[in-house]
Amino acid sequence: MAIAIQNEPNAQGQPSSSAVSLNAVPILPAEFYLEHFLSEGAKAKKHNPIRFLFKYESTPGLISLLAGKPNPRTFPMSSVSLTCADPWDHDKELSLTVDPDLLSQGLQYSVESGIPAFKDWLVGLQEREHGRSMEDEGWKIAVGTGSQDMLSKAFAAIVGPGDVVLIERPTYPGAITALQGLGAIMVDVQTNEEGLRPEHLQSIMENWPSDRPKPKALYTVPYGGNPAGTTIPERRRKEILALARKYNFLIIEDDPYYHLYYGEQERPASYFSLEKQLASATEPVGRVVRLDSLSKILSAGMRIGTATGPASIIEVIDRHTSSANSQTATLTQAMALTIFQNWGYDGFKAHTKFVSAFYREKRNQLENALRKHLTGLADWVPPCAGMFIWLKLHLNTAATSSSAQNDPEHGDSNELIRTKALEKGILLLPGTVCFSSGEVTPYVRMSFSLVDEAQMNEAMRRLREVILEARGGA
Amino acid sequence: MSLSTADTQPSAEQTINATSKANDAARLPGARTHYSDFFSDIVKRMKPSPIHSLLHLEHHIPKPISLLAGKPNPAMFPFAGSMSWTSRDPHNPEKIETLTMDEDLLKLGLNYSETPGLLQMRQFLEEMQEDEHGRLKEEEGWRVTVGPGSQDLISKAVTALLNPGDSMLVESPTYAGIMPMFRQLQPEFICIPSDAHGLLTDKLREVLKGWPSDKPRPKLIYTIPYGSNPSGFSATLERRTELLKLAYEHNFLILEDDPYYNLYYGSSPRYPSYFSLEKSLGLLDTAPDTPKDLLRVNTGGRVIRFDSFSKVLSAGLRLGFVTGPAPVLDAIDKQTSAASLEPSTLTQTIALTILRSWGREGYKAHTTNVAAFYRSKRDTCERLLAQYLGKDGLATWDTPEAGMFMWFKLHLHPGMDVESDTEDFIRRKAVEKGVLALPGSMFLPEGGKSAYVRLSFSVVPENVLEEAMRRLRALVIEARGEA
Repeated sequence: MAIAIQNEPNAQGQPSSSAVSLNAVPILPAEFYLEHFLSEGAKAKKHNPIRFLFKYESTPGLISLLAGKPNPRTFPMSSVSLTCADPWDHDKELSLTVDPDLLSQGLQYSVESGIPAFKDWLVGLQEREHGRSMEDEGWKIAVGTGSQDMLSKAFAAIVGPGDVVLIERPTYPGAITALQGLGAIMVDVQTNEEGLRPEHLQSIMENWPSDRPKPKALYTVPYGGNPAGTTIPERRRKEILALARKYNFLIIEDDPYYHLYYGEQERPASYFSLEKQLASATEPVGRVVRLDSLSKILSAGMRIGTATGPASIIEVIDRHTSSANSQTATLTQAMALTIFQNWGYDGFKAHTKFVSAFYREKRNQLENALRKHLTGLADWVPPCAGMFIWLKLHLNTAATSSSAQNDPEHGDSNELIRTKALEKGILLLPGTVCFSSGEVTPYVRMSFSLVDEAQMNEAMRRLREVILEARGGA
Repeated sequence: MSLSTADTQPSAEQTINATSKANDAARLPGARTHYSDFFSDIVKRMKPSPIHSLLHLEHHIPKPISLLAGKPNPAMFPFAGSMSWTSRDPHNPEKIETLTMDEDLLKLGLNYSETPGLLQMRQFLEEMQEDEHGRLKEEEGWRVTVGPGSQDLISKAVTALLNPGDSMLVESPTYAGIMPMFRQLQPEFICIPSDAHGLLTDKLREVLKGWPSDKPRPKLIYTIPYGSNPSGFSATLERRTELLKLAYEHNFLILEDDPYYNLYYGSSPRYPSYFSLEKSLGLLDTAPDTPKDLLRVNTGGRVIRFDSFSKVLSAGLRLGFVTGPAPVLDAIDKQTSAASLEPSTLTQTIALTILRSWGREGYKAHTTNVAAFYRSKRDTCERLLAQYLGKDGLATWDTPEAGMFMWFKLHLHPGMDVESDTEDFIRRKAVEKGVLALPGSMFLPEGGKSAYVRLSFSVVPENVLEEAMRRLRALVIEARGEA
């Protein structure tokens, strides 16, 4: 046997992909990430040295006395069964049993990036959805404890103290918290009813002071944005991708509402898809880190999300997982795979269509209630994906004409939500938590996923009273 | 022991003020009088999740209509009705019974829950900890947080406590898998050697005695008290008591990583945990010369305890839990809310279904069965080790009394006054002969040579283990010939 086990090479010594490729899509080389994108922490990150050796265990003839894997005989569970909906007819139930081999993987430690068969299924899904091929395109996938886990690790792979990240204004509060923890500097890019404004992004980059570190990444929620509910059209996505290439930053595409698209038009392509469609010899792929979630379509309590992107970034995420939390639960991966294998890709698609149609109906119900009770008292843009409406309250009669997003004259929803709205029996998310600087804003975020139509009507009737009282008192 | 109540307690702030005045004269650099004095800059910088800080308003009375949280509608989760599995009866392991998850519990399990874990799960675990370790939650200011495996919680605890350059005490040898995570935080490691009776507390006392007066004192010690990884040894009662006293004298926290607690199979009765001893020794309220706030009974003490279900229920569930002072657990939760929101609720409801059906009696019976299983594995392993490596003095070892590891010393250079180094032997020679084990050097936090080897006996069948021993024997003899 001519193998010997080496200590883990560090990030510098391990070019995992190359720009030189004859027929395939051009790929950014591993050195490029080292030079421009990986955080200092990421470069220093080491594998769990024991888990690093797991891969040798499959060598034929080798006896492994390596890992502290518990003996599966001591695990009390066997034969897991579950019922789940037929994706073609949600009134029908399917009874499924987790395959014994899969279950034994589901009860034991596994490699940090996820159960291999589950990852294979997900790779197939990404290939179908985004037109990307696993072969020769230099990307990988990692399974995490929810997409937030993958998001915070993707940030940590790229961003350290003092590094700059471009974010949408407003943006998902959970991203702000994660970036604060890393000591990142956040720079706001303006949005409007169609999401991120490329011309504002361009002007930020054109006027970037030469003595400041350049932004390393743009963080964006492209479908049913949280909180604004906007879905950015393909035209803008292309412009933003061109800017990422011109000014050399990565795009972190956080897409938990991708499967909750219910717009009338054909859905816009993802950044992950577009970077291949628009690839050329001078514009290689490898700028997009894509985050997906099963929380809205399968179960939030399973905590399964994935990161898909350049091998250099995903490998850092894997190293992070291996030393920080070893791996994501394998039992939930085994259960999800059992369902997906039964459904097949077409069944999966049928199920997500059912889910997105449900949320469209919910949106319609809330919009009806809004029109009925708040016409003239609030503005909103109807979302075509996700579960949020971002509502601008007209709290001050004199200031409603200004087009600025936030202006102290427009009033403060935060105080109102925590006092008057609560007294009247309605609870909304004050918009201020969705701004990196926590500024005063008249916006609120409304989630329409859980309330029924009657509650929506009652809630909007109460909100009307709150606004009218605030205006009267102003 | 007199337990104070909230009514007679001065407020935390008053206590801090009083303490800082009393200590002003003798205040050392980096003196710490409150848990927050131990916290890292990272955790101080992080703000609590803004959405979570509003969620309690949903319970306002009268109950508002809430459009607050972005929780998915559970009707869209395709798990229609039920989930069930078969499970061994802990009192009669030959008997297999079917468990079906309660419908309401399944509903909870499929959706988001809370950052520190599902309430019902935490309640079950807190009661278990009260019984198992003789502690009282309400009076003593500790609680439980559930995480996706105990390693996740250890990472977050040290991240909450250590700034670059802070001193941390670590038992040597120690669990190699956690070291990269510790190193990432760039602390200064002070390694304390151990033997078959646990950490050498005399050495630790010396280190602390000789601590430079101008240098901030160590913030914590990381130790595995049962079936230590890699050595398989357990700390004796005497050493445990000594370490706790030192922690109170020198004001540092004890991170008690105890995944093998339930895998103790020694012949003497099991020793109490640090978490238990801290109270039974009366340290919680009688330690002299320690800052008032940290010793007050209702602030939770100095032990942060980590338990794991990986070795007794399933490693694939990824469930561990931390028990300790509420402020430290709050700092862990703050990281979770930004890092992964919460541990899987579904795996919590699966574990809870099993634990409830068994009761704590049944759980005890199950873990006793598991420990007996590993004892018999250890016996087999030790017999083979003696047969192939012991009899000619090729290796020596102490018998492990918990866990799944055998830690033995190879004598590669007989008659010579040099310590063997197993690095090349294990990584190259043994692998070439088809045996995969771990060299002892991997478990030295300070690095350096080691004559030891770690072998895991949990999974490998007897005949395969025998073959491995045969190969190792041939290799050692060969190596001795070369030397």
